[in-house]
Amino acid sequence: MDKLERLLNFAAALLAADRPLTADELRERIAGYPESKAAFRRTFERDKDDLRAMGLPLSVEPVPGTDPPVDGYRMRRADYSGTELRLEPDELAALHLATNLVRLDGADTGLLKLGGGTGDAADEVGRVPFDDALAVMIAAAADRRAVSFTYNGTARTVEPWRLSFTRGHWYLAGWDLTRDDERLYRVDRIVGEVTVGDTATREIGTVNDPGDLRGWELGDGEPVRALVHIDAVQAAHARHLLGAVEELADGGVVAELAVRNEEAFRSFVLSFLDHAEVLEPPELRAGMVRWLEAQT
Amino acid sequence: MNAKLTARERMTRLLAVIPWVVEQDGAPLDEIATRFDYPRQQLVDDLTQVVLYVGVHPFTPDSLIEVDITDDRVQIRYADWFSQPLRLTPEEGARLLTAGRTVLSLGDDEQTTPLLRALAKLGMALGGSADSAVDVRLGDAPEATLGALRAAIGDGTQVELDYYTYGRDELTTRRVDPARVFSDHGNWYLHGYCHRAEDERVFRVDRIRDVRRTGDPVTHPLDGGGVSFSPDGDDPRIRLRLPPSSFWVTEQYPTESVTSSDDGRLEVVMAVTAVPWLERLLLRLGPEAEVVGADPPLDADLAARAAARILARYAD
Repeated sequence: MDKLERLLNFAAALLAADRPLTADELRERIAGYPESKAAFRRTFERDKDDLRAMGLPLSVEPVPGTDPPVDGYRMRRADYSGTELRLEPDELAALHLATNLVRLDGADTGLLKLGGGTGDAADEVGRVPFDDALAVMIAAAADRRAVSFTYNGTARTVEPWRLSFTRGHWYLAGWDLTRDDERLYRVDRIVGEVTVGDTATREIGTVNDPGDLRGWELGDGEPVRALVHIDAVQAAHARHLLGAVEELADGGVVAELAVRNEEAFRSFVLSFLDHAEVLEPPELRAGMVRWLEAQT
Repeated sequence: MNAKLTARERMTRLLAVIPWVVEQDGAPLDEIATRFDYPRQQLVDDLTQVVLYVGVHPFTPDSLIEVDITDDRVQIRYADWFSQPLRLTPEEGARLLTAGRTVLSLGDDEQTTPLLRALAKLGMALGGSADSAVDVRLGDAPEATLGALRAAIGDGTQVELDYYTYGRDELTTRRVDPARVFSDHGNWYLHGYCHRAEDERVFRVDRIRDVRRTGDPVTHPLDGGGVSFSPDGDDPRIRLRLPPSSFWVTEQYPTESVTSSDDGRLEVVMAVTAVPWLERLLLRLGPEAEVVGADPPLDADLAARAAARILARYAD
């Protein structure tokens, strides 16, 4: 039997019931489960995961009148349909057009639920990386709820203010409840699951625009002032990347950078290959020499 | 359109299709297929071979969904449990909000008003701070450059570019028939026909130093397409073994394959477009990243010699 048919029958059985149903009851009512108890359990668990992943509101509740209590499964129709957005046709078409113009990585199931794609398809103008963790954080920022995650090996709880995509990376700005300070995080360095917690208590603060920050400026502690000499052949490229730089008589430039992250700084300087040299401070210069010597 | 949908993808679609068809009191097959991105034959099969048998215990005829397809028109009845669309999850709402707000930030859409209304409704469902929750910048390129390219595409004329090729570390001037400007993962690109290369090329807009509009009509129009990175089939391939500290490579560089090895490292295969490109990559990765092989074989001392060249600058 088709898995799709079993999943649809699973959902229908719960939506039609006005009380929690036990696993055994569901097994009786839904065709297509394996005979053996162990195989049934495995398939049943997978089905539950699938239904939840699709956004079906499957909850676990004790079955009334059972002693000792037995867990049952429930899907309330009010939870199933939620609040309808009631989009007008032109609004749905505008959203459809937006998802055509800007393509986010991953599957777009939201539009289907609202009534599917309508109107003309358009040429994509942009493609943006996206994943479930980002969606969870954006939804939490919209609803002013705290989120918890692991970053740099530390567990953090943050009241998110804004998720920004700039220069090819997503950043989270918000109030770090663990450190009691405002912070900016690179979202791709968040490890594992993001969980949503309590309602935020602090006002949304002014966010440092991550677009103005460079990789080497992201980090904790006081920045170190570094000077980098870049040759004339790469001066235009450096000017383009960095904006204001000191011009030298031979056409080269000297850039002043505020460094909080040595690794990112090193990467940036190495992108110029032998057209750039760290002038100051001595520690960063020595660090670069050590790094290169390890590779000769 | 997807060739083959998974059970989950089919179910997500059906839970949207059923209430929509019920509310429309029937709908043409083709319209359902287009609207819900559902391959037509798969849709017919799923409706007639699966949905028709969905119901609740004890599965008597009156407790089964009724599906009728006549003259390519679908009628669905007795689907009481699925008569309402499944709720939008906050995560799905966040995706739509992100796409919508990105389009607003482009600022050149005639359809802004319905989009604003849609986003306002979506915002109410998501929470009071939806307006400030997400912000997308598709790329950093001078507005003047983007504007000149778009204008040239609009009237079908050629442009002349001063272009910095990062991989080869050189500045060139080339005449291009521009076809399309698009953004991919944070950078703006121009796709067009390059008269210098006598072939289609994709340029990064932020590496265009200067763009001049020639007014000459394009001679090699292209239709759509254009991917941000397309290695030549002939480019050498390199296989690298990366420690966890270097996993960022897979996010920042185009890879052809990524496999994890037993010791927790990743093995990646990448196309080498130019020698300076590979020098930069290897120097940034450092000694912990291991070159496992290359096809055709590459100079084994490449990174060491590049490092020595740079170190020469530091010899006081």
